[in-house]
Amino acid sequence: MDAFGMGLVAAMGALATVAGASEDIDSDIGSQSNPNSQVQLAAQVGNPHRIYNKAIAGEPPSNALWCATACIMAYVLIEGFHMPLLFATVAGASLAALFDGVMATSAYFGRSASQSRFNQWIYLDIVRYTTPSIMAHVWITSFCVTLIAVIQVYVLTPHHPFPIPVIGLIWGITIGAIGSSVGDIHYGGEREFQWRLFGQGLNTMLSGQIVRKAEAGLRNSIDNAWFCAKFGGPCTGLGFGLTVFCDNWRTTVFDPVTQAPYAIAMGVIFVILMNVYNLYMEISARKKYGPYPGYKGDIAA
Amino acid sequence: MSMTFDINTLVYMLEIVVGSLLVSVGVHFVPVGGAPAAMAQATGIGTGTVTLAAGSGLTGLLSAGLMMSVTDNIWPILATGAVGSMIMMDATMLTGDFIYSYAVGCPYASAKVNYDPITMFPQPPYVAPGTVGQGIPTVCFVSGTIGALLGGVGGAMIYYPCMQISGNPAQSAIFALGIFFVQSVIPSWNIQGTIEGFHDPKFKKWPLAFKASLIAGILLAIMTVLIQPLGGA
Amino acid sequence: MDQLKGFTFTPQQLRMYGIIGSVVGIYLTVGLNVLTGTKLFSFIGSIAALFAVLWGANAIRRICSYGLGTGVPAMGMLCTGMGCVAAVFGLNLAGRFGIEWAGVIITLIYAAIFGYVVGVLCNKVMKFNIPIMEEGLTDGAAACTMAILAWSVTISGSLSYNAIIADVYNTGFLALIFILGGMALFHPFNANLGPDEKQDRTLIDGMMVGGLAMIGVGICSLVTLGLAPAMLTIVVGFAIWYYFYIWYFRLTTRDAAAVVGTGLLPPSAL
Repeated sequence: MDAFGMGLVAAMGALATVAGASEDIDSDIGSQSNPNSQVQLAAQVGNPHRIYNKAIAGEPPSNALWCATACIMAYVLIEGFHMPLLFATVAGASLAALFDGVMATSAYFGRSASQSRFNQWIYLDIVRYTTPSIMAHVWITSFCVTLIAVIQVYVLTPHHPFPIPVIGLIWGITIGAIGSSVGDIHYGGEREFQWRLFGQGLNTMLSGQIVRKAEAGLRNSIDNAWFCAKFGGPCTGLGFGLTVFCDNWRTTVFDPVTQAPYAIAMGVIFVILMNVYNLYMEISARKKYGPYPGYKGDIAA
Repeated sequence: MSMTFDINTLVYMLEIVVGSLLVSVGVHFVPVGGAPAAMAQATGIGTGTVTLAAGSGLTGLLSAGLMMSVTDNIWPILATGAVGSMIMMDATMLTGDFIYSYAVGCPYASAKVNYDPITMFPQPPYVAPGTVGQGIPTVCFVSGTIGALLGGVGGAMIYYPCMQISGNPAQSAIFALGIFFVQSVIPSWNIQGTIEGFHDPKFKKWPLAFKASLIAGILLAIMTVLIQPLGGA
Repeated sequence: MDQLKGFTFTPQQLRMYGIIGSVVGIYLTVGLNVLTGTKLFSFIGSIAALFAVLWGANAIRRICSYGLGTGVPAMGMLCTGMGCVAAVFGLNLAGRFGIEWAGVIITLIYAAIFGYVVGVLCNKVMKFNIPIMEEGLTDGAAACTMAILAWSVTISGSLSYNAIIADVYNTGFLALIFILGGMALFHPFNANLGPDEKQDRTLIDGMMVGGLAMIGVGICSLVTLGLAPAMLTIVVGFAIWYYFYIWYFRLTTRDAAAVVGTGLLPPSAL
């Protein structure tokens, strides 16, 4: 264990946290992944809207694409042109953001055009002012993930044997999986349906009745980022940060060559801690919120 | 122009097939609620089965790859793959539950059982009207951890023989990744995208995916072991 | 805007174009490279991939319109996952027996068999009962594998197993091909999902992503092939992408209820 390695692992954890947060906000602006099903349904039940519909194949594959794109660009510049690591990462993230712009607009056009019978219009001003915001968040995500991959391969010892595009692809899938499992709940469970009773999920009867109007005028997708950046984004960041930090911390503190059993045992301890913490949260939530008032069955709470 | 086919080749094939089956069975343990779970409308993690399994299993693959670069002993490699995978899955479920309890404001409940098999907490009074449960209760959390364990061991077990054959980490990682994806899509189709964990009635369908994954795994294993390094690079 | 004429293809037509286009394209790439002693013609490999993309995107479009419960991407991931093993399988086997040119054919056949077997497993073992499952998965798996192989040839400029492993696998560029290849196959249908989905718009979207992939593959080949062939791939890729993006945009304007610069909701919904 050396101080430099620990500093790097801490930096990776911090980068991962930022990446997770920006990944979630990016998907919320575009209404990607799971909440997309409600945005899609809204027009079909007679509620056309002015919300971005960025259906790029679910979050994990799309983030894998951005991160892999950024990583190949970085790899080309580092290995082929001997550019500095940080500059290569910046260039890679920029390319990923451009790719994202193309895919995002094509998905918005396509999904809206395929709903023409429900009178869902295509608004070009939405494309003009929302797409850059999505691209900016993708830039942050792919920058951070590429930097994590670069640190793992070129700086941290032991160097990771995989090439950086493969690591970028894997972290991309992971960050997308976390983003769609964690941050999406804040957008789909809270922000899309703000006028129903608080304290429960979406009643199936209300499917598709998303909020379409804002404090003034019509709700747009940037408003959703404003809301989700307060809790959904940070939680996603926490999830990805925990994954990257805990996983690398144990192999840095304990040398994998001589102390492999300790590294593994440390990981098992993390897992047990998280299980226990979830149990604590479950008990506390049941106690504080109590059973739902309308319950008529026989099983006592 | 030499064709090496000996007992080792069979062992490698067996490892790939067993790894495939572990992944396939592991996917059935992962509590995935699909899109409705993201609206707190169904129990489980709100994402797709395939990518969640892949996200955790491949995080395990990253750890296993790092371990394999410093040792050839299979046990620490499998164990570290499993641990990396479990850490990712648990971090995801834990932070997901933060949102269920602190943003949506609901207790966690499963709609498939009356009593949680592990904690024995009654479930139906806590299921919100008009939904089929919400959040990730203890039984789902434990089930997800088991699923990640199997997925992580499976991913590492596919990576290990690939590495033994080619000695090339990049190529082995890509092969393991490809096989992993095939083996996580097949069980996902079997459970039609959503499951709550080992207490879910759908879990009883696992032998179907097991058979399908076995055959697909054998086909993939044949390919993988036949790809051997060519001289004169 | 002038009335845009659409097109429709049958699956059989697309299968024929896909097989012939990708196989001939790959051989043309390698043949011209060997004949001229340069790597300048590597970009043809990416054009060959476009045929495979058309073929595969239509297969995914057909199967996924049945609804599998896991979303559109899962099927694409299955096909690409298998494809990245199968793509080098044929090359390796052919290289081992000294018949390097046959690698493409072996890969194509094995991928098709694998797709067919998985399709049979889905219908017979897992009881899907989707009539075109076998056919669709055969198409999807074979098309995806051919696309991966064609892009790999663009990066390495040759069909030899060792070159592909050194240039595409060891550098990790396959990660990009893996995900972009999958994306080119499943993004078109996923992005155009809805009751008014049209085949021509979906396929043009696939071609657009294929052009984007060509730019990405061109950037990869900066390291492996050098500046001139790589720039050729990037420029041609950009031209293809631009052409199909504009075409796609015109098709969406044709199909959409309305395309407006700005405005409130449609009068019926306010």
